[in-house]
Amino acid sequence: MGIEIITLAKPRPYPPRQSEFTQTFWQSLAQGQLLTTRCGDCGKYTFPPKPICPYCWGEHVTWCELSGRGVLYSYTTVHAAPEVFAADVPYDLGIIDLDEGLRVATGITGTGTPKLDAPARAVALVYTDGPLLAFTQDDI
Amino acid sequence: MSKTVCIIGAGALPVGKYQRPRDAAIQVLERELLAGVVIAALDDAGVGKEDVGSLVFGIERDYPKQRYFATFMANYLRLAATGTVMEVVGNGMTGGLAFDKAADEIALGRAKVALALGINMESAIPTGEHLNNSMRHTGDVDFHTPSGFMPISWYAMDAMRYMHDHGATRAEIAAVAVKNRFHASLNPLAQYRKRITLEDVFAQRLIVEPLGLFEVPGRADGAVCIVLADEDTAKATGQPYLRLRGRGFYHEGAHQISEVPNDMTEFIAAQTAARTAYSEAGITADDLDLAEIYAPCTIVEVLVSEALGLAPRGGGARAAHDGETTLGGRIPICTSGGCLSRGHPPFVTGLYNFVELAEQLRHRAGDRQVANARLGLSVSELGNYNAALVHILEAA
Repeated sequence: MGIEIITLAKPRPYPPRQSEFTQTFWQSLAQGQLLTTRCGDCGKYTFPPKPICPYCWGEHVTWCELSGRGVLYSYTTVHAAPEVFAADVPYDLGIIDLDEGLRVATGITGTGTPKLDAPARAVALVYTDGPLLAFTQDDI
Repeated sequence: MSKTVCIIGAGALPVGKYQRPRDAAIQVLERELLAGVVIAALDDAGVGKEDVGSLVFGIERDYPKQRYFATFMANYLRLAATGTVMEVVGNGMTGGLAFDKAADEIALGRAKVALALGINMESAIPTGEHLNNSMRHTGDVDFHTPSGFMPISWYAMDAMRYMHDHGATRAEIAAVAVKNRFHASLNPLAQYRKRITLEDVFAQRLIVEPLGLFEVPGRADGAVCIVLADEDTAKATGQPYLRLRGRGFYHEGAHQISEVPNDMTEFIAAQTAARTAYSEAGITADDLDLAEIYAPCTIVEVLVSEALGLAPRGGGARAAHDGETTLGGRIPICTSGGCLSRGHPPFVTGLYNFVELAEQLRHRAGDRQVANARLGLSVSELGNYNAALVHILEAA
């Protein structure tokens, strides 16, 4: 599988923290691979990835790759942003329902106006200091 | 057996901008503002400081210098307490929780009189800087915030989805802002009182699409004190009071967004909390005379009006547009002017809801009085209404 990598020549405005556990997600994302965790006991996916299953509280979670394919559930265009994102306005944010039955919220990148219930695919935005997950409706 | 909880008095500052810039030589101090509000509230209630047994504060914003503000104020007002002195926190639910925990003090018999109070000061902090802080209150700071999410961006996505699912128009949703400004024009405590039209709403700059400036909350400071008492104490005042008839709470076990796809604009927490409160009160939504809804954006009031059963699913925006939620309409909502026009000092907004219910249910609301108001509802929330806290009050 794997997702498109888009390189940006600047650092992330508000970088996420990584833990011993979540660094697997971020390192894989930088390589164009979208991972999350799935419970070995009840079989449910969770996102963001967690070292426990939030449903059955089982600890037998495994990393698995997501298709990165889904549909756009909603979006907004932000015109008045927190100071750390001021240089980026206007920018789009969205909610995507993945084929695996997970709902995620990320930035939306692309050329057109986002379209609800239309397909979207994950991309890895790789900044100079690390990656962020985003979705696009371009080239589908 | 638990005691009946009553509201016997209230005091509040007009919502506005009181905070001075950090470098101003003369500052406006929280202690001085809130002390005046407490004294006014006890005067309104007709009880003395020696009657007060418990103080439940909403937590302050991060900006004021004084910390441990609850115990500081107990000293400032020389208020000894036998029940509790505490601060509660719950983001937008903070004011609602302060009321809720003060009500528990009465119900449990720990105090004959309890105060639910707080002050929210933030208006001199530039909006971009404030959003750097408030964006950490919603969503996941590692998996959402780095993409640029902030509190009202989630409501904006509610609006997009709601229009898509139910065919509501921008004008129908924006009508909430016009209606609330009309209500605020009749409320001396309101921050924005100049009446506006739909054209005015659409002429504003966009903030989070589809919402523009008049459909999102302005920056505000405020301070409130609600005086609660048991019914013997309430009766002894010889004045009108309110009785707490029902209470409901629900947290859906999700923070901002469910990772399991659902109908996001259904506001399950508000539905569930309302059902519990109606059941406890022995009423239905149709019995209510008014509702004060914690709704920072136009769309939120629409969605909550549906979740509370005050409008049919998908019909909340139309109901607002058709005047059903305006004073004189079928079910007046936010007669105070709500977050958009009374004003929204978030950590005390929930308490301002009770100020309005106290005015309306004691028939002291003047030009905005709901005729024969007997039953009123207040609701506050956190996240994207992932949790809701509902109280139903009755005129005694």
